[in-house]
Amino acid sequence: MTDIKTYLREWAMPHVLCPGCAHGIVLRSFLEAVDQLQLEQDKVAMVAGIGCSSRLAGYADFCTLHGTHGRAPAFATGLKLARPELDVVVVTGDGDGLAIGGNHLIHAARRNIDITVMLLNNSIYGMTGGQAAPTTPQGAVASTTPSGNTEASFDACALLQGAGASFVARVLAANPIEMTKVMADAITHPGFSFIEVVSDCPEYFGRYNKAGGGAEMLVSLTSRDVAVAGPLAAKRFVNHVPSSEPPPGMDTGVLQREVRPIFSGIRGGDTDES
Amino acid sequence: MTDETKGLVLAGVGGQGVILAGMIVADAMVRAGHDIKQSEVHGMAQRGGSVFSHIRWGPGVDSPLVPRASAEVLAAFEWAEAIRWVDYVREGGAVVVDLRTIVPPGACDDRRNWTTAYPGIDPELFLDRQLKTRLIDASSTASELGNIRAANSVILGTVAAFCGIDDSHWEAAIESLVPRGTEEINLAAFRAGREVADAQAPAATPSPEGFAGPHQIDINHSWCKDCDICSRVCPEYCLAIDNNGKLGIVDSDACTGCRLCELLCPDFAISIRPPMAEAVTTNG
Repeated sequence: MTDIKTYLREWAMPHVLCPGCAHGIVLRSFLEAVDQLQLEQDKVAMVAGIGCSSRLAGYADFCTLHGTHGRAPAFATGLKLARPELDVVVVTGDGDGLAIGGNHLIHAARRNIDITVMLLNNSIYGMTGGQAAPTTPQGAVASTTPSGNTEASFDACALLQGAGASFVARVLAANPIEMTKVMADAITHPGFSFIEVVSDCPEYFGRYNKAGGGAEMLVSLTSRDVAVAGPLAAKRFVNHVPSSEPPPGMDTGVLQREVRPIFSGIRGGDTDES
Repeated sequence: MTDETKGLVLAGVGGQGVILAGMIVADAMVRAGHDIKQSEVHGMAQRGGSVFSHIRWGPGVDSPLVPRASAEVLAAFEWAEAIRWVDYVREGGAVVVDLRTIVPPGACDDRRNWTTAYPGIDPELFLDRQLKTRLIDASSTASELGNIRAANSVILGTVAAFCGIDDSHWEAAIESLVPRGTEEINLAAFRAGREVADAQAPAATPSPEGFAGPHQIDINHSWCKDCDICSRVCPEYCLAIDNNGKLGIVDSDACTGCRLCELLCPDFAISIRPPMAEAVTTNG
Protein backbone atom coordinates (compact mmCIF):
# COMPACT_ATOMS: atom_id res chain seq x y z
CA MET A 1 0.00 0.00 0.00
CA THR A 2 1.27 3.42 -0.93
CA ASP A 3 1.79 6.03 1.74
CA ILE A 4 -1.50 7.91 1.69
CA LYS A 5 0.32 11.24 1.85
CA THR A 6 1.39 10.63 -1.76
CA TYR A 7 -2.10 11.74 -2.72
CA LEU A 8 -2.02 14.79 -0.49
CA ARG A 9 -0.79 18.29 -1.28
CA GLU A 10 1.44 18.31 1.76
CA TRP A 11 2.45 21.91 1.25
CA ALA A 12 -1.17 22.94 1.81
CA MET A 13 -1.49 21.04 5.08
CA PRO A 14 -2.63 21.36 7.81
CA HIS A 15 -6.05 21.99 6.32
CA VAL A 16 -8.44 24.77 7.36
CA LEU A 17 -11.11 22.50 8.84
CA CYS A 18 -11.93 22.86 12.53
CA PRO A 19 -10.56 20.45 15.14
CA GLY A 20 -12.71 17.32 15.24
CA CYS A 21 -14.41 17.96 11.88
CA ALA A 22 -14.95 14.60 10.25
CA HIS A 23 -14.51 15.93 6.71
CA GLY A 24 -10.80 15.10 6.94
CA ILE A 25 -11.65 11.46 7.65
CA VAL A 26 -13.77 11.44 4.49
CA LEU A 27 -10.87 12.81 2.47
CA ARG A 28 -8.58 10.13 3.85
CA SER A 29 -11.05 7.38 3.02
CA PHE A 30 -11.40 8.73 -0.50
CA LEU A 31 -7.63 8.75 -0.96
CA GLU A 32 -7.52 5.17 0.34
CA ALA A 33 -10.15 4.21 -2.24
CA VAL A 34 -8.12 5.81 -5.04
CA ASP A 35 -5.09 3.95 -3.75
CA GLN A 36 -6.96 0.64 -3.69
CA LEU A 37 -8.10 1.15 -7.28
CA GLN A 38 -4.55 2.12 -8.29
CA LEU A 39 -5.80 5.13 -10.23
CA GLU A 40 -3.22 7.48 -11.69
CA GLN A 41 -3.24 10.81 -9.94
CA ASP A 42 -3.65 12.84 -13.10
CA LYS A 43 -6.47 10.62 -14.32
CA VAL A 44 -8.64 11.57 -11.35
CA ALA A 45 -10.47 14.89 -11.40
CA MET A 46 -11.95 16.24 -8.20
CA VAL A 47 -14.56 18.94 -8.74
CA ALA A 48 -15.87 21.06 -5.90
CA GLY A 49 -18.13 24.02 -5.30
CA ILE A 50 -18.21 26.18 -2.21
CA GLY A 51 -18.33 25.13 1.42
CA CYS A 52 -16.30 23.31 4.04
CA SER A 53 -16.62 20.00 2.22
CA SER A 54 -15.62 21.59 -1.06
CA ARG A 55 -12.35 22.68 0.47
CA LEU A 56 -11.23 19.06 0.43
CA ALA A 57 -10.46 19.23 -3.28
CA GLY A 58 -7.73 21.74 -2.49
CA TYR A 59 -5.78 19.20 -0.45
CA ALA A 60 -5.98 16.22 -2.78
CA ASP A 61 -3.15 15.97 -5.29
CA PHE A 62 -5.30 15.15 -8.34
CA CYS A 63 -6.62 17.32 -11.13
CA THR A 64 -8.87 19.58 -9.11
CA LEU A 65 -11.45 22.18 -10.07
CA HIS A 66 -12.91 24.64 -7.62
CA GLY A 67 -16.10 25.96 -9.16
CA THR A 68 -18.97 28.19 -8.18
CA HIS A 69 -21.43 27.56 -5.40
CA GLY A 70 -23.63 24.56 -6.09
CA ARG A 71 -22.49 24.17 -9.70
CA ALA A 72 -19.92 21.42 -9.18
CA PRO A 73 -22.11 18.77 -10.91
CA ALA A 74 -22.46 21.11 -13.90
CA PHE A 75 -18.69 21.62 -14.12
CA ALA A 76 -18.22 17.89 -13.71
CA THR A 77 -20.70 17.14 -16.48
CA GLY A 78 -18.78 19.36 -18.88
CA LEU A 79 -15.47 17.93 -17.78
CA LYS A 80 -16.61 14.34 -18.20
CA LEU A 81 -18.00 15.04 -21.67
CA ALA A 82 -14.76 16.71 -22.77
CA ARG A 83 -12.39 14.24 -21.10
CA PRO A 84 -14.28 10.94 -20.77
CA GLU A 85 -11.09 9.10 -19.77
CA LEU A 86 -10.99 10.90 -16.41
CA ASP A 87 -12.59 9.57 -13.25
CA VAL A 88 -14.58 12.63 -12.25
CA VAL A 89 -15.50 12.93 -8.59
CA VAL A 90 -17.59 15.77 -7.19
CA VAL A 91 -17.16 16.61 -3.54
CA THR A 92 -19.98 18.72 -2.26
CA GLY A 93 -21.86 19.49 0.90
CA ASP A 94 -25.47 19.47 1.96
CA GLY A 95 -25.87 23.22 1.43
CA ASP A 96 -23.86 23.26 -1.79
CA GLY A 97 -25.47 20.17 -3.26
CA LEU A 98 -29.03 20.20 -1.90
CA ALA A 99 -29.83 23.90 -1.50
CA ILE A 100 -28.24 26.18 -4.06
CA GLY A 101 -27.09 23.33 -6.27
CA GLY A 102 -30.08 21.04 -5.87
CA ASN A 103 -31.09 21.38 -9.49
CA HIS A 104 -27.69 20.58 -10.88
CA LEU A 105 -27.42 17.53 -8.70
CA ILE A 106 -30.75 15.95 -9.55
CA HIS A 107 -30.34 16.62 -13.27
CA ALA A 108 -26.91 15.06 -13.35
CA ALA A 109 -28.50 12.05 -11.67
CA ARG A 110 -31.39 12.03 -14.14
CA ARG A 111 -28.99 12.06 -17.12
CA ASN A 112 -26.93 9.25 -15.56
CA ILE A 113 -23.63 10.82 -16.52
CA ASP A 114 -20.68 8.72 -15.37
CA ILE A 115 -19.48 10.81 -12.44
CA THR A 116 -19.31 10.17 -8.72
CA VAL A 117 -20.80 12.64 -6.26
CA MET A 118 -19.79 12.55 -2.60
CA LEU A 119 -22.14 14.70 -0.58
CA LEU A 120 -20.79 15.42 2.88
CA ASN A 121 -23.80 15.98 5.08
CA ASN A 122 -23.01 17.84 8.28
CA SER A 123 -26.61 19.01 8.83
CA ILE A 124 -25.74 22.69 8.90
CA TYR A 125 -24.05 25.49 6.95
CA GLY A 126 -20.63 25.30 8.57
CA MET A 127 -18.55 27.78 6.62
CA THR A 128 -20.96 30.72 6.82
CA GLY A 129 -21.78 30.56 10.50
CA GLY A 130 -24.08 27.70 11.37
CA GLN A 131 -27.31 28.60 9.58
CA ALA A 132 -30.01 25.96 9.16
CA ALA A 133 -29.59 23.86 6.01
CA PRO A 134 -32.07 21.69 4.11
CA THR A 135 -30.68 18.77 6.07
CA THR A 136 -30.94 20.27 9.54
CA PRO A 137 -33.19 17.89 11.50
CA GLN A 138 -36.49 19.18 12.81
CA GLY A 139 -36.02 20.67 16.26
CA ALA A 140 -32.28 21.18 15.90
CA VAL A 141 -30.82 24.54 16.88
CA ALA A 142 -28.91 26.57 14.29
CA SER A 143 -27.97 30.25 14.23
CA THR A 144 -31.06 31.00 12.16
CA THR A 145 -33.31 28.66 14.15
CA PRO A 146 -32.50 29.55 17.76
CA SER A 147 -35.65 27.86 19.08
CA GLY A 148 -35.24 24.79 16.96
CA ASN A 149 -35.79 24.12 13.27
CA THR A 150 -39.47 23.90 12.33
CA GLU A 151 -38.94 22.66 8.77
CA ALA A 152 -38.71 19.10 7.62
CA SER A 153 -35.36 18.00 6.26
CA PHE A 154 -34.23 16.31 3.07
CA ASP A 155 -33.36 12.65 2.91
CA ALA A 156 -30.59 13.04 0.32
CA CYS A 157 -30.46 9.36 -0.64
CA ALA A 158 -34.22 9.14 -1.18
CA LEU A 159 -34.08 12.33 -3.24
CA LEU A 160 -31.33 10.97 -5.50
CA GLN A 161 -33.01 7.58 -5.83
CA GLY A 162 -36.10 9.44 -6.97
CA ALA A 163 -34.03 11.49 -9.39
CA GLY A 164 -32.74 8.33 -11.00
CA ALA A 165 -29.18 7.97 -9.76
CA SER A 166 -28.00 4.49 -10.71
CA PHE A 167 -25.80 4.05 -7.62
CA VAL A 168 -26.90 5.44 -4.27
CA ALA A 169 -25.15 4.76 -0.98
CA ARG A 170 -24.98 6.21 2.49
CA VAL A 171 -21.92 5.85 4.68
CA LEU A 172 -20.89 7.25 8.01
CA ALA A 173 -17.72 9.23 8.53
CA ALA A 174 -17.26 7.12 11.66
CA ASN A 175 -16.80 3.95 9.58
CA PRO A 176 -13.75 4.70 7.43
CA ILE A 177 -13.21 1.15 6.20
CA GLU A 178 -16.75 0.76 4.88
CA MET A 179 -16.55 4.29 3.50
CA THR A 180 -13.44 3.41 1.48
CA LYS A 181 -15.07 0.28 0.12
CA VAL A 182 -18.25 2.05 -0.94
CA MET A 183 -16.26 4.90 -2.52
CA ALA A 184 -14.24 2.42 -4.57
CA ASP A 185 -17.50 0.77 -5.68
CA ALA A 186 -18.96 4.14 -6.60
CA ILE A 187 -15.94 5.23 -8.64
CA THR A 188 -15.96 1.99 -10.65
CA HIS A 189 -19.75 1.99 -11.10
CA PRO A 190 -20.70 2.89 -14.69
CA GLY A 191 -23.13 5.76 -14.43
CA PHE A 192 -24.06 8.41 -11.89
CA SER A 193 -22.96 7.40 -8.39
CA PHE A 194 -24.11 9.23 -5.33
CA ILE A 195 -22.73 8.77 -1.83
CA GLU A 196 -24.17 10.61 1.11
CA VAL A 197 -21.41 10.71 3.70
CA VAL A 198 -22.91 11.49 7.07
CA SER A 199 -20.30 13.78 8.55
CA ASP A 200 -20.52 16.22 11.43
CA CYS A 201 -19.92 19.82 12.42
CA PRO A 202 -18.73 19.96 16.02
CA GLU A 203 -18.06 23.68 15.82
CA TYR A 204 -21.63 24.77 14.99
CA PHE A 205 -24.07 21.87 15.06
CA GLY A 206 -22.33 20.18 17.97
CA ARG A 207 -21.97 23.37 19.97
CA TYR A 208 -25.52 24.67 19.38
CA ASN A 209 -27.12 21.31 20.04
CA LYS A 210 -24.86 20.25 22.91
CA ALA A 211 -23.86 17.16 20.96
CA GLY A 212 -20.26 17.31 22.17
CA GLY A 213 -17.02 17.64 20.23
CA GLY A 214 -15.76 15.71 17.25
CA ALA A 215 -15.16 12.49 19.14
CA GLU A 216 -18.62 12.42 20.75
CA MET A 217 -20.35 13.26 17.48
CA LEU A 218 -18.52 10.48 15.62
CA VAL A 219 -19.47 7.99 18.29
CA SER A 220 -23.11 9.02 18.24
CA LEU A 221 -23.09 8.69 14.43
CA THR A 222 -22.24 5.04 14.83
CA SER A 223 -25.11 4.58 17.21
CA ARG A 224 -27.52 5.93 14.58
CA ASP A 225 -26.53 3.33 12.00
CA VAL A 226 -29.35 0.79 11.95
CA ALA A 227 -27.09 -2.02 10.74
CA VAL A 228 -24.27 -1.65 13.22
CA ALA A 229 -25.77 0.00 16.29
CA GLY A 230 -27.19 -3.23 17.65
CA PRO A 231 -24.13 -5.46 17.25
CA LEU A 232 -21.80 -2.71 18.42
CA ALA A 233 -23.82 -1.62 21.41
CA ALA A 234 -21.90 -3.93 23.71
CA LYS A 235 -18.52 -2.56 22.63
CA ARG A 236 -16.69 0.22 24.36
CA PHE A 237 -16.60 2.27 21.19
CA VAL A 238 -20.23 3.31 21.62
CA ASN A 239 -20.38 3.42 25.38
CA HIS A 240 -20.04 7.18 25.44
CA VAL A 241 -23.34 7.76 23.66
CA PRO A 242 -25.35 10.23 25.69
CA SER A 243 -28.49 8.60 26.99
CA SER A 244 -30.74 11.45 25.87
CA GLU A 245 -33.27 10.89 23.13
CA PRO A 246 -31.45 9.27 20.22
CA PRO A 247 -31.87 10.75 16.74
CA PRO A 248 -33.65 8.58 14.19
CA GLY A 249 -31.70 5.67 12.78
CA MET A 250 -30.31 5.57 9.27
CA ASP A 251 -29.88 2.83 6.72
CA THR A 252 -26.32 2.69 5.49
CA GLY A 253 -24.48 0.90 2.75
CA VAL A 254 -25.36 0.68 -0.92
CA LEU A 255 -29.07 1.46 -1.22
CA GLN A 256 -29.45 1.30 -4.99
CA ARG A 257 -27.33 -0.16 -7.74
CA GLU A 258 -28.45 -0.62 -11.32
CA VAL A 259 -26.80 -0.37 -14.72
CA ARG A 260 -28.58 1.70 -17.31
CA PRO A 261 -27.48 3.74 -20.35
CA ILE A 262 -24.90 6.41 -19.64
CA PHE A 263 -25.24 9.95 -20.92
CA SER A 264 -22.30 10.79 -23.13
CA GLY A 265 -23.57 13.92 -24.85
CA ILE A 266 -23.28 14.62 -28.53
CA ARG A 267 -19.95 12.82 -28.88
CA GLY A 268 -21.23 9.30 -28.83
CA GLY A 269 -24.97 9.73 -29.33
CA ASP A 270 -27.53 9.81 -26.57
CA THR A 271 -26.85 6.36 -25.23
CA ASP A 272 -23.36 4.97 -25.26
CA GLU A 273 -22.69 1.89 -23.22
CA SER A 274 -18.94 2.47 -23.04
CA MET B 1 24.34 12.17 7.80
CA THR B 2 22.43 11.01 4.78
CA ASP B 3 19.89 8.25 5.15
CA GLU B 4 21.87 6.03 2.83
CA THR B 5 24.86 6.03 5.12
CA LYS B 6 25.01 2.88 7.18
CA GLY B 7 27.28 2.00 10.06
CA LEU B 8 28.94 -1.04 11.51
CA VAL B 9 30.72 -1.30 14.82
CA LEU B 10 33.31 -3.96 15.48
CA ALA B 11 34.18 -4.35 19.14
CA GLY B 12 36.60 -6.68 20.80
CA VAL B 13 39.58 -7.01 23.04
CA GLY B 14 43.17 -6.18 22.22
CA GLY B 15 44.86 -8.92 20.27
CA GLN B 16 41.72 -10.44 18.83
CA GLY B 17 42.21 -8.98 15.37
CA VAL B 18 39.52 -6.31 15.44
CA ILE B 19 41.64 -3.95 13.37
CA LEU B 20 42.27 -6.47 10.62
CA ALA B 21 38.59 -7.39 10.59
CA GLY B 22 37.76 -3.70 10.22
CA MET B 23 40.13 -3.42 7.28
CA ILE B 24 38.47 -6.40 5.63
CA VAL B 25 35.00 -4.88 6.06
CA ALA B 26 36.22 -1.56 4.67
CA ASP B 27 37.92 -3.25 1.73
CA ALA B 28 34.82 -5.30 0.94
CA MET B 29 32.70 -2.14 0.99
CA VAL B 30 35.07 -0.35 -1.37
CA ARG B 31 34.95 -3.33 -3.70
CA ALA B 32 31.14 -3.07 -3.62
CA GLY B 33 31.41 0.52 -4.81
CA HIS B 34 30.61 2.32 -1.56
CA ASP B 35 32.28 5.39 -0.17
CA ILE B 36 33.56 4.42 3.28
CA LYS B 37 35.18 5.94 6.32
CA GLN B 38 36.71 3.98 9.12
CA SER B 39 37.83 4.97 12.56
CA GLU B 40 39.31 2.89 15.31
CA VAL B 41 40.70 2.98 18.83
CA HIS B 42 43.50 0.58 19.56
CA GLY B 43 45.54 2.27 22.28
CA MET B 44 44.64 -0.28 24.93
CA ALA B 45 45.36 -3.25 22.76
CA GLN B 46 48.52 -4.35 24.47
CA ARG B 47 46.83 -4.47 27.86
CA GLY B 48 43.79 -6.46 26.82
CA GLY B 49 41.61 -3.41 26.73
CA SER B 50 38.66 -2.54 24.58
CA VAL B 51 39.37 -2.15 20.88
CA PHE B 52 36.76 -0.97 18.45
CA SER B 53 36.43 -0.03 14.85
CA HIS B 54 33.71 2.10 13.33
CA ILE B 55 32.97 1.72 9.66
CA ARG B 56 30.42 3.80 7.79
CA TRP B 57 29.48 3.27 4.18
CA GLY B 58 27.14 4.72 1.63
CA PRO B 59 27.14 6.89 -1.49
CA GLY B 60 29.00 9.69 0.30
CA VAL B 61 30.19 9.46 3.89
CA ASP B 62 31.17 12.61 5.77
CA SER B 63 32.04 11.43 9.27
CA PRO B 64 33.78 8.23 10.28
CA LEU B 65 32.03 7.87 13.64
CA VAL B 66 28.85 5.83 13.95
CA PRO B 67 26.32 7.77 16.06
CA ARG B 68 24.63 6.04 18.94
CA ALA B 69 21.55 3.98 18.04
CA SER B 70 22.25 4.08 14.33
CA ALA B 71 24.52 1.15 13.49
CA GLU B 72 23.17 -1.44 11.15
CA VAL B 73 25.28 -4.18 12.70
CA LEU B 74 27.34 -4.64 15.83
CA ALA B 75 29.95 -7.35 15.62
CA ALA B 76 31.17 -8.12 19.13
CA PHE B 77 34.14 -10.41 19.35
CA GLU B 78 33.57 -10.90 23.06
CA TRP B 79 30.50 -11.07 25.31
CA ALA B 80 31.10 -8.06 27.55
CA GLU B 81 32.00 -5.91 24.56
CA ALA B 82 28.61 -6.73 23.06
CA ILE B 83 26.93 -5.30 26.15
CA ARG B 84 29.21 -2.27 26.13
CA TRP B 85 28.40 -1.40 22.51
CA VAL B 86 24.84 -2.56 22.02
CA ASP B 87 23.48 0.97 22.43
CA TYR B 88 25.06 1.84 19.10
CA VAL B 89 22.76 -0.48 17.20
CA ARG B 90 19.61 1.02 15.78
CA GLU B 91 16.24 -0.49 16.60
CA GLY B 92 15.77 -3.48 14.37
CA GLY B 93 19.48 -3.72 13.64
CA ALA B 94 21.62 -6.81 14.01
CA VAL B 95 23.94 -7.94 16.77
CA VAL B 96 26.48 -10.64 16.09
CA VAL B 97 28.07 -11.88 19.29
CA ASP B 98 30.88 -14.33 19.77
CA LEU B 99 30.15 -16.27 22.95
CA ARG B 100 33.79 -16.06 23.98
CA THR B 101 34.45 -14.38 27.33
CA ILE B 102 37.64 -12.55 28.26
CA VAL B 103 37.57 -11.26 31.81
CA PRO B 104 39.47 -7.98 31.97
CA PRO B 105 41.81 -7.40 34.92
CA GLY B 106 39.71 -4.44 36.02
CA ALA B 107 36.65 -6.62 36.54
CA CYS B 108 38.45 -8.84 39.04
CA ASP B 109 36.95 -8.26 42.49
CA ASP B 110 39.09 -10.64 44.45
CA ARG B 111 42.21 -12.12 42.96
CA ARG B 112 42.59 -14.88 45.56
CA ASN B 113 39.39 -16.80 44.81
CA TRP B 114 38.88 -15.19 41.36
CA THR B 115 35.47 -13.59 41.85
CA THR B 116 34.73 -11.11 39.13
CA ALA B 117 32.18 -8.49 38.17
CA TYR B 118 32.07 -9.97 34.70
CA PRO B 119 28.47 -10.21 33.42
CA GLY B 120 27.21 -13.71 32.78
CA ILE B 121 26.10 -14.66 29.32
CA ASP B 122 22.43 -13.83 29.07
CA PRO B 123 20.92 -13.62 25.56
CA GLU B 124 17.77 -12.10 27.08
CA LEU B 125 19.71 -8.86 27.31
CA PHE B 126 19.27 -8.34 23.60
CA LEU B 127 15.85 -9.82 23.05
CA ASP B 128 13.78 -6.92 24.38
CA ARG B 129 15.44 -4.48 22.02
CA GLN B 130 13.92 -5.76 18.80
CA LEU B 131 17.36 -6.69 17.51
CA LYS B 132 18.31 -9.45 15.16
CA THR B 133 20.66 -11.34 17.42
CA ARG B 134 23.07 -14.03 16.27
CA LEU B 135 25.03 -15.83 18.97
CA ILE B 136 27.96 -17.78 17.59
CA ASP B 137 30.85 -19.78 18.95
CA ALA B 138 33.41 -18.62 16.44
CA SER B 139 36.43 -20.09 18.24
CA SER B 140 35.03 -23.62 18.21
CA THR B 141 33.97 -23.33 14.61
CA ALA B 142 37.41 -22.08 13.61
CA SER B 143 39.10 -24.85 15.65
CA GLU B 144 37.04 -27.47 13.88
CA LEU B 145 38.17 -26.02 10.57
CA GLY B 146 41.78 -26.34 11.72
CA ASN B 147 42.90 -22.94 13.04
CA ILE B 148 41.35 -21.08 15.94
CA ARG B 149 42.82 -17.86 14.56
CA ALA B 150 40.30 -17.90 11.73
CA ALA B 151 37.55 -17.15 14.28
CA ASN B 152 37.18 -13.58 13.07
CA SER B 153 36.35 -14.76 9.59
CA VAL B 154 33.49 -16.79 11.07
CA ILE B 155 32.19 -13.61 12.70
CA LEU B 156 32.58 -11.66 9.47
CA GLY B 157 30.64 -14.37 7.67
CA THR B 158 27.71 -13.84 10.02
CA VAL B 159 28.04 -10.06 9.77
CA ALA B 160 28.01 -10.28 5.98
CA ALA B 161 24.41 -11.43 6.09
CA PHE B 162 23.34 -7.98 7.32
CA CYS B 163 25.51 -5.68 5.23
CA GLY B 164 23.72 -5.98 1.93
CA ILE B 165 26.71 -6.46 -0.36
CA ASP B 166 27.56 -9.46 -2.43
CA ASP B 167 29.57 -12.27 -0.81
CA SER B 168 32.12 -12.16 -3.63
CA HIS B 169 33.31 -8.76 -2.37
CA TRP B 170 33.83 -10.18 1.10
CA GLU B 171 35.75 -13.17 -0.18
CA ALA B 172 37.96 -10.99 -2.35
CA ALA B 173 38.69 -8.71 0.61
CA ILE B 174 39.53 -11.63 2.89
CA GLU B 175 41.78 -13.20 0.29
CA SER B 176 43.77 -10.02 -0.17
CA LEU B 177 44.18 -9.07 3.49
CA VAL B 178 44.63 -12.19 5.64
CA PRO B 179 48.19 -13.48 6.17
CA ARG B 180 49.63 -15.41 3.26
CA GLY B 181 48.86 -19.10 3.39
CA THR B 182 45.69 -18.76 5.46
CA GLU B 183 43.37 -17.69 2.66
CA GLU B 184 41.72 -21.10 2.29
CA ILE B 185 40.88 -21.59 5.94
CA ASN B 186 39.67 -18.03 6.34
CA LEU B 187 37.37 -18.39 3.36
CA ALA B 188 36.06 -21.66 4.77
CA ALA B 189 35.52 -19.92 8.11
CA PHE B 190 33.70 -17.07 6.39
CA ARG B 191 31.31 -19.47 4.69
CA ALA B 192 30.73 -21.31 7.96
CA GLY B 193 29.82 -18.01 9.61
CA ARG B 194 27.52 -17.16 6.72
CA GLU B 195 25.63 -20.39 7.33
CA VAL B 196 25.23 -19.58 11.01
CA ALA B 197 23.53 -16.31 10.10
CA ASP B 198 20.98 -18.09 7.96
CA ALA B 199 20.51 -21.01 10.34
CA GLN B 200 19.72 -18.73 13.28
CA ALA B 201 17.42 -16.46 11.28
CA PRO B 202 14.05 -16.79 12.95
CA ALA B 203 11.27 -18.20 10.83
CA ALA B 204 9.21 -15.26 9.68
CA THR B 205 7.49 -14.00 12.80
CA PRO B 206 4.59 -13.25 13.89
CA SER B 207 4.66 -15.27 17.05
CA PRO B 208 2.03 -17.96 17.63
CA GLU B 209 -0.45 -15.40 18.95
CA GLY B 210 -0.04 -13.34 15.80
CA PHE B 211 1.30 -10.45 17.80
CA ALA B 212 4.69 -9.39 16.54
CA GLY B 213 5.24 -6.66 19.11
CA PRO B 214 3.99 -3.14 19.59
CA HIS B 215 3.46 -0.94 16.57
CA GLN B 216 5.10 2.43 16.20
CA ILE B 217 2.77 5.42 16.63
CA ASP B 218 3.96 8.53 14.80
CA ILE B 219 2.20 11.80 15.56
CA ASN B 220 2.77 14.79 13.30
CA HIS B 221 2.19 17.54 15.84
CA SER B 222 2.33 20.30 13.25
CA TRP B 223 -0.82 18.91 11.63
CA CYS B 224 -2.55 17.66 14.78
CA LYS B 225 -5.36 19.85 16.08
CA ASP B 226 -5.71 18.00 19.40
CA CYS B 227 -9.34 17.16 18.62
CA ASP B 228 -9.29 14.09 20.89
CA ILE B 229 -10.84 11.68 18.36
CA CYS B 230 -7.88 9.28 18.31
CA SER B 231 -7.56 9.07 22.06
CA ARG B 232 -11.28 8.43 22.42
CA VAL B 233 -11.40 5.63 19.87
CA CYS B 234 -8.17 3.83 20.82
CA PRO B 235 -9.28 0.48 22.31
CA GLU B 236 -5.95 0.12 24.13
CA TYR B 237 -5.80 3.62 25.65
CA CYS B 238 -2.43 4.33 24.00
CA LEU B 239 -3.13 8.01 23.42
CA ALA B 240 -4.34 10.82 25.65
CA ILE B 241 -4.76 14.57 25.73
CA ASP B 242 -2.54 15.97 28.47
CA ASN B 243 -3.28 18.79 30.90
CA ASN B 244 -2.14 21.36 28.36
CA GLY B 245 -4.63 20.05 25.83
CA LYS B 246 -1.91 18.44 23.70
CA LEU B 247 -2.05 14.93 22.31
CA GLY B 248 0.58 12.51 23.54
CA ILE B 249 1.37 8.81 23.59
CA VAL B 250 0.86 7.36 27.04
CA ASP B 251 1.37 3.66 26.37
CA SER B 252 3.13 2.87 23.11
CA ASP B 253 3.71 -0.77 24.08
CA ALA B 254 -0.01 -1.51 24.13
CA CYS B 255 -0.60 -0.60 20.49
CA THR B 256 -1.91 -3.57 18.50
CA GLY B 257 -1.87 -1.75 15.17
CA CYS B 258 -5.65 -1.65 14.64
CA ARG B 259 -5.17 1.75 12.91
CA LEU B 260 -8.48 3.17 14.18
CA CYS B 261 -6.68 6.35 15.23
CA GLU B 262 -4.95 6.63 11.87
CA LEU B 263 -8.13 6.07 9.86
CA LEU B 264 -10.22 8.38 12.02
CA CYS B 265 -7.70 11.22 12.24
CA PRO B 266 -9.21 14.06 10.20
CA ASP B 267 -5.84 15.78 9.97
CA PHE B 268 -3.61 12.98 8.61
CA ALA B 269 -1.50 13.51 11.72
CA ILE B 270 -1.10 9.90 12.89
CA SER B 271 0.55 7.02 11.16
CA ILE B 272 1.03 3.53 12.51
CA ARG B 273 4.06 1.54 11.45
CA PRO B 274 4.08 -2.20 11.99
CA PRO B 275 6.85 -3.61 14.16
CA MET B 276 10.14 -4.19 12.33
CA ALA B 277 8.80 -2.55 9.19
CA GLU B 278 11.98 -0.56 8.93
CA ALA B 279 14.16 -3.60 9.27
CA VAL B 280 12.32 -5.37 6.50
CA THR B 281 12.78 -2.51 4.07
CA THR B 282 16.41 -1.76 4.77
CA ASN B 283 17.76 -5.26 5.09
CA GLY B 284 17.07 -6.47 1.57
